[in-house]
Amino acid sequence: MSTYVLVAGNAGVSELVAAAAKLDGPVVAVVVGADEVVRAVAAPGVDKIVWLGDPGDRAVEAFAADVAKVVAADPGVVFAGRKPAERALLGAVAAAISAPVVTMPVEIAAGQVTRAIAGGIASETRSYAGPVAIVSDGGAPLTGGGSTSVEQAAASPAEVTVTDLRPNEVAAADLGTADRVVSVGRGLKAKEDLAIIEALATAFKAELGCSRPVAEGLDWVARDRYVGISGQQISPQVYLAVGISGQLQHMSGCRGAQLIVSINTDKDAPIVAESDYILTGDLYTLVPALTAALG
Amino acid sequence: MPFQLTDDQLLTRDSVREFAEAEIAPIAAEIDKNHRPPLESIPKLAEMGLLGMIIPEEYGGTGMDTVSYVIAIEELSRVCATHGVLAEAHSSLCTWPIVNYGNAEQKQKYLPDLANGNAIGAFGLTEPNAGSDAGSTSTTAVRDGDEFVLNGQKIFITNGGFAKTFVIIARSTDAPGAKGLSAFIVERDTAGFQVLEPEQKMGIRGSSTTPLAFSDCRIPAANLLGNQGEGFKIAMQILDGGRTGIAAQALGIAQGAFEAACKYAKERVQFGKPLAALQAIQWMIADMAVDIEAGRALVYQAADTEDRHEPHSQASAMAKLFCGEMATRVTGKAIQIHGGVGYTEAYPVERMYRDAKITEIYEGTSEIQRLVISRNYLR
Amino acid sequence: MRIVVAYKYAPDPQEATVASDGTLDFSRAKAIVSDYDAVAIEYGRQLADAQGAALVGVSVGGEAAAKPVATKAALARGLDEVVVVSDPELDGAGSTRTAQAIAAVVKELGDVELVLAGDSSMDVGARMVPSVLAGLLGWPMLSDVEKVTLADGSVSVERLVSEGVQSITAAAPAVVSLTSEAVKTKAPGMKDLLAAGKKPVAVKSLADSGLVAVSEGTVTARAKLDGPARKGVVIDTSDPAAAAAELVNALRAAGVLG
Repeated sequence: MSTYVLVAGNAGVSELVAAAAKLDGPVVAVVVGADEVVRAVAAPGVDKIVWLGDPGDRAVEAFAADVAKVVAADPGVVFAGRKPAERALLGAVAAAISAPVVTMPVEIAAGQVTRAIAGGIASETRSYAGPVAIVSDGGAPLTGGGSTSVEQAAASPAEVTVTDLRPNEVAAADLGTADRVVSVGRGLKAKEDLAIIEALATAFKAELGCSRPVAEGLDWVARDRYVGISGQQISPQVYLAVGISGQLQHMSGCRGAQLIVSINTDKDAPIVAESDYILTGDLYTLVPALTAALG
Repeated sequence: MPFQLTDDQLLTRDSVREFAEAEIAPIAAEIDKNHRPPLESIPKLAEMGLLGMIIPEEYGGTGMDTVSYVIAIEELSRVCATHGVLAEAHSSLCTWPIVNYGNAEQKQKYLPDLANGNAIGAFGLTEPNAGSDAGSTSTTAVRDGDEFVLNGQKIFITNGGFAKTFVIIARSTDAPGAKGLSAFIVERDTAGFQVLEPEQKMGIRGSSTTPLAFSDCRIPAANLLGNQGEGFKIAMQILDGGRTGIAAQALGIAQGAFEAACKYAKERVQFGKPLAALQAIQWMIADMAVDIEAGRALVYQAADTEDRHEPHSQASAMAKLFCGEMATRVTGKAIQIHGGVGYTEAYPVERMYRDAKITEIYEGTSEIQRLVISRNYLR
Repeated sequence: MRIVVAYKYAPDPQEATVASDGTLDFSRAKAIVSDYDAVAIEYGRQLADAQGAALVGVSVGGEAAAKPVATKAALARGLDEVVVVSDPELDGAGSTRTAQAIAAVVKELGDVELVLAGDSSMDVGARMVPSVLAGLLGWPMLSDVEKVTLADGSVSVERLVSEGVQSITAAAPAVVSLTSEAVKTKAPGMKDLLAAGKKPVAVKSLADSGLVAVSEGTVTARAKLDGPARKGVVIDTSDPAAAAAELVNALRAAGVLG
């Protein structure tokens, strides 16, 4: 029985291959992508590649049924990343082999997965008799160098054509891969004052994040930047929380940070207990001071 | 006697709460601070159907039951008492008498605009020398051919600054006291009718409270609401319903303050633990919860009595008396739980405390409610 | 033509608490139409009106999902009718099982040009039901969509991808999941509530839908997840510049300044 890693147009699957390698059986990468993706995925830990072709103008999603067919021929545990196309391929596989889907895995062993539930405040371990479909962080791109056999498989992709791509005018928020995140909460009094937070984020080479009310109630910051149980769940090297009290729902999104720094007027706010560095005081004086110190 | 809300009543609460949190809560502090009537909310309230809840479907309303209506007032008031009283005075004090005493022409002429927000309603009863004692009304309406000619002054008229449709109580016959009063519909742009400068109030500061002046103001005789001499009866029935509405407003204010207090008590850490872990705070929270639930039972009971078309002046007076005083108690405790910051504009509870006080006063003071209630037992 | 909106009636996780043994308590959490599914219903309403299509809500869940208060809440948001697959066994069902039940309903309905879904459910947030559903139906799956156009047997979308806004055209029917901001939701008005009571509701059991049960595994352990231990260093802020310098030094020493 093989263990599968689905590759949807990019080779960023190193974490998945590492997890798959711990399970029994050969690791098979099922690849929809250009030949450079195939070359990159042909890396140590990947025993075999089944290549369904270069999608060209088609969306990777067009190959969902083809991917499912490959796995269904010899069902096993399947891994895919969290990106849209990766989910689409995984969903088709789960449908084809009637496998349950597991998200937010914490620990994966043969026949057993522990996953985080309720936004990471609790975990649950389940044992499984058959294959499962696992969604997890893909990790860094593979870079080739493996003795991997490549098998080209025939595909009959669906009519799903990419007709246009308008690049972002401003870079989309990518909190997930940011090393540093400066996040702002209700301690900020007015939208205009975001400027001082943005200046700090720039000086700190950080992405801007926020708590839910700042994005959803007040609309001060784009929604893809809010950190919390129903928003972004991130694990940066440093999470600098400015004017955030640290409700459970928020902390679920940033607890994975290596270091948490809090700037808050209330020395007793919940976030203080979860901080590595605590600056109690007015953000309107501390934030500019910190920006200057980083300058 | 357990009171179980219907699915529609539960969904009314969910919808109005969702609306109030999205559209009303964000401006609640600002309109209070600036004493600014929230005119931009009127089309939104109309679109939600909150101005036509007691207007029959044939006139553009939704003809919902009184319990649903008071739940809507409660939910608006939970985030902003100003919006609560805007909708309450519009519906209970102006729309209600037209629905219940208007003839077919009057209903057709006025109700659709009241339902769709083209016209906001107001009610003119109180005068400088006739507050709780409505029988002393001195504004006159003298018949002259096909018209009535109004002269006199009204004060403390909710929605006065922007209402288009007014129900006015005036003296139209020679009969003494209450017997000489009649009710009239007066349109805002009538010659001789003037809306004067709004009051600067302690609370519900976004609500427009104005005096009205009538100086040889001529209205068509067709605008007589009900029969001549029925004015006092109509006014008292209006207030019976209005009191349940104000009780619901008070209930909503208390609920909002209670939730703010619970949130603060859980977040704020003192002496190494959250306030909520201190027994002194727990006791206050328990007392507030009981107070609010008792008030809620009285409000829904009064509304349900009205829905069953049973006499409800006792029930509404009890709900109004209890909830008005309860809201003042609960909002006061909410400030106490917050401590010093609760006394500042940084938190909403000081606004709620100021808003709560009026619910002990308007549409019949607590003393009048006690009079109404005790009369029933001591006659 | 029908447009289906797959929606979930779920407890609001803001009210969930976790015990020290890892069991979750949703008993105080009020159930509502999941936030982002309300976005899909609103978007579907506008699309259905433009197309002259019927908008059918399909939901899967335990007994609560089929209660009149639940179906009315969904209908009041603009659906023309709802079909609920309700069974105690489906309470808390995983993505695959849920998608199977939805797929069975979609197949039975027929004449479905599009299935819309919200960005994620508010209680679980696995974001996988639409993908599994597309797999089961053999239809294209398009996620993170901001705009949908239906024309001449094709579905065109604009979707947010990391590089920008991607336009895709696919042969209809398709499964589309929307972003949380595809359209602004609004609270159902009083007229919507009245109308909701008059719309058709069909409730099916698991047996009716003829599903093969997917094993969702056996729970063998639960735990409360605690965050990592924190240093808890309090930096004196009486001199803001000195405090800032101290923090910068600490972060530099930790090797986390870029």
